[in-house]
Amino acid sequence: MSITNLTAPKLDGINVDIVGSDTVKLKGTITKKEPAQDLDAFFKSVHRDAVSTRSDQISVDVSELTFVNSSAIRLFVDWATWVKNESTHRYKLRFLTSRHITWQKTSFTALKSLMEGILSFETVD
Amino acid sequence: MESKTNRPGPHHPLVFMRFRPAWAYIDGIREFGRFFCETTFGTPEVAERARVIIQETLENAVKYSSDTAESELELLIKSDGNTIEFQVSSLPDAAHAQALMAELSGIHSQDPEKAYLAAFQRASDEPWASARLGIARMRYEGGVELSVKEEESGRIRVTATGKL
Repeated sequence: MSITNLTAPKLDGINVDIVGSDTVKLKGTITKKEPAQDLDAFFKSVHRDAVSTRSDQISVDVSELTFVNSSAIRLFVDWATWVKNESTHRYKLRFLTSRHITWQKTSFTALKSLMEGILSFETVD
Repeated sequence: MESKTNRPGPHHPLVFMRFRPAWAYIDGIREFGRFFCETTFGTPEVAERARVIIQETLENAVKYSSDTAESELELLIKSDGNTIEFQVSSLPDAAHAQALMAELSGIHSQDPEKAYLAAFQRASDEPWASARLGIARMRYEGGVELSVKEEESGRIRVTATGKL
């Protein structure tokens, strides 16, 4: 099984796609009141799949995710925490970011400092 | 030479908006704020900070507003040429007013970057609890200090002030 077998949710304001065998791409904005209602179950299913298939890495391409609210940032914290707390198999959570989008620089720098060895981020443009 | 009327003083709002506390308005108002700040101050950096501040202050105001005819929100943007100030006035229900006052009081004791890291740590340690990420984010990413004041009729005014 791989994440290509999962179904990405169809949502207003944001496109969620599965690209290849290990990448989730998010494009648009996330500013809903409770974004967890839309995305938490999907992120969790990707996480469970990565653990059960002993994946080395999951990439999350947020380079075209232009703006998010703090509730959405919380979803990325939660995802990294799931990996950190995983007892059976840990994979690397790798975020692909844009150097031109401010929230990504501030938030992923902070998150990486708390999740050394679990989370990484790199710029793609 | 620029005329006096084109140079508003520090107490003159550059933007004043009053609207019902509806989540559906936040996206439009945030993007207007971004456009306004980029056009007025000529720097994308200020415009990006404005986006964060407007989003997070309006979210808090909408979430906790009371459901009455007097509960319209007010957004003001002011500048004296050196600083920029955002004010959001709202009428929260009593329980949330006290919680918000408590949350915002004493937030200056920690460096903004350290406070943002601490909020991430709280979010990771206590997944069920509020991490107050939004307030920490405004200070660090938005580059502002926050204050809150109680006004007449139970309204509160959150002010975010930072350098241009």
